Amino acid sequence: MSSLSFAWRSFTRQPARAALGVAGIAIVGALLFDMLLLSQGLAVSFRDLLEGVGFDIRVTADRFVPSRASMIRNGTEVLTRLRALPEIEDAVAVRFGRAEALHSGGAHVLVNFMGVDGAARNTWTVVEGADLPIDSDAAGPAVLVNRTLARRLNLSAGDSLRLRGSCDPRRSAMPAIDFQVSGIVDFRFEAAGEYATVTTLSNLLRACSPTDRDAVTMFLVASGPDVGPDAAVRAISGVLPGLNPFTNQQFVDRLQTAEFSYFRQISFALATITLFFAFLLIATLLTVSVNQRLGEVATLRALGFRRKRVVADLLWESALLVGSGGLLALPLGAALAFYLDGILRQMPGIPVDLHFFVFQGRATIVYAMLLAGTGLLAASYPVYLAARLPIAATLRREFTS
Amino acid sequence: MSGFLVEARDLHKVFPMPAGPVVAVQEVCLTIDPGSYTAVQGPSGCGKSTLLHLLGCVETPTAGTLLFDGREVGALRDAERSRIRLNHIGFVFQRFFLLPMLTAWENIELPQNEAGVARAERRAHTQELLEYVGLEQRAGHRPSQLSGGEMQRVAIARALANRPRLLLADEPTGELDEATGEQIGDLIDRVHADGTAIVVVTHNPALARRAARQLTMRGGRLVGPA
Repeated sequence: MSSLSFAWRSFTRQPARAALGVAGIAIVGALLFDMLLLSQGLAVSFRDLLEGVGFDIRVTADRFVPSRASMIRNGTEVLTRLRALPEIEDAVAVRFGRAEALHSGGAHVLVNFMGVDGAARNTWTVVEGADLPIDSDAAGPAVLVNRTLARRLNLSAGDSLRLRGSCDPRRSAMPAIDFQVSGIVDFRFEAAGEYATVTTLSNLLRACSPTDRDAVTMFLVASGPDVGPDAAVRAISGVLPGLNPFTNQQFVDRLQTAEFSYFRQISFALATITLFFAFLLIATLLTVSVNQRLGEVATLRALGFRRKRVVADLLWESALLVGSGGLLALPLGAALAFYLDGILRQMPGIPVDLHFFVFQGRATIVYAMLLAGTGLLAASYPVYLAARLPIAATLRREFTS
Repeated sequence: MSGFLVEARDLHKVFPMPAGPVVAVQEVCLTIDPGSYTAVQGPSGCGKSTLLHLLGCVETPTAGTLLFDGREVGALRDAERSRIRLNHIGFVFQRFFLLPMLTAWENIELPQNEAGVARAERRAHTQELLEYVGLEQRAGHRPSQLSGGEMQRVAIARALANRPRLLLADEPTGELDEATGEQIGDLIDRVHADGTAIVVVTHNPALARRAARQLTMRGGRLVGPA
């Protein structure tokens, strides 16, 4: 009988205790797994979102997160210089504003209003109708609306929508302009319940008439296929030293050390506590198990079983406990992560496609290693007890007890 | 080489206790010949079981010399003493100490497995041992499903699993009624007749009388024949 078979028989001799032990490890393991998913989940999900747009560089005036208060003033010149760089394949100017959507029934809805100059790649996905016409300005102002706004105002492709722009707080209310809804879209970064629209940059300027007509919120830039984003960022910094170009990875790294750091710290603290509980649980179960079987261990030793065989039996028992509980923890953790992700994503302003818990192979490997290490560490005391057991004294004690 | 299977010279065993050291065995000189049959009697606490543990290489002497097959036990590492116990010594305990989660068959097969006996040989020998102790019909039963006498017979079969040269039995009939004790005595006689040296520690005079040599212990000393 191998050590594994022997450990299995020892492990299952009290099925209720074994089941409770496995359940305990599964619950603790599920929490640990989830904390590992959470520690990197936002960053992974955010990077996927950024990269899914099709641009690998962003250029802002001075901040990572663009805002209306911090604009690039000479947008046309900057766009021209960006497009002239050999390291750059494509660049698109983007300006954010606000608008009041006026419904025929008299309802007013405040919407986020975005203007783009150029092909915006995958910034949105058309789900009904058509994308913005290539020559939208000539054909009459066209606009894309997201599904939430379309539902709110009962809009379909081809309908008319009156928008009153509000891009400049220094300007009084502008006259409303009639747009034709070209299509219904899903924006990659839209939040739950957000009303969002997009048109060309020139149409946005028509609707807003801002004082700074050449200002741009940011540029979305795609580096050349053989250049890579880092080299392209260096090239941009060379020709436009007053601006703030950064790669998607730099953006995610910055978020990880700043905005997302709370989640990392919380997940680290909870993962540490969870590991400690796992250690206590495994150590207690194995120590109780060994203490109940001291007579058997002493008998085996008296029969000639070597210390390392007794140690191997116990380590296998620990591996069975941790392995079965740890495996059960994966689907349990996945279900719990799905549930918690749903709760966290209801926070206002969070993009619909952003996830807090993201499955990662690396997290699974780290989880397995942490749990295995904890199991090994927790087994060390009961292993020590069994290995150093005084054989004759234990047999005497077992006899008199 | 002396030719003795076991040779004890001026053996002492002292247990340090909080209330002061307890001398369990002192000034014991003893030899066990291959194939011999020795019974040790004496009152409770006189050191019989400790002497048995010393002879079985479970304990090491505090002072004196113990030779097993010419090798000084006190100088051996734990792994080497384990190997001697596994391959050359069989233990039978008063309370059987069978592993409760294993069947009779598995209890008997386990020491052979540890000794690295090949599977086919192991199976054949286990079957042979079950027949030897008359329990071939109880092979698949766990200890909780066996009577006291049956458990002791399984324990004897387990002790014989690796064909030991010395069988040590500590009160093997202590938990059994008289008739069952007689059967166990007969079984031990048979083991002896098949060439295994026996040392039995017992309070049972009937069992002790089966031995060719009967010794008495008092206060940790061998004080002569019973």
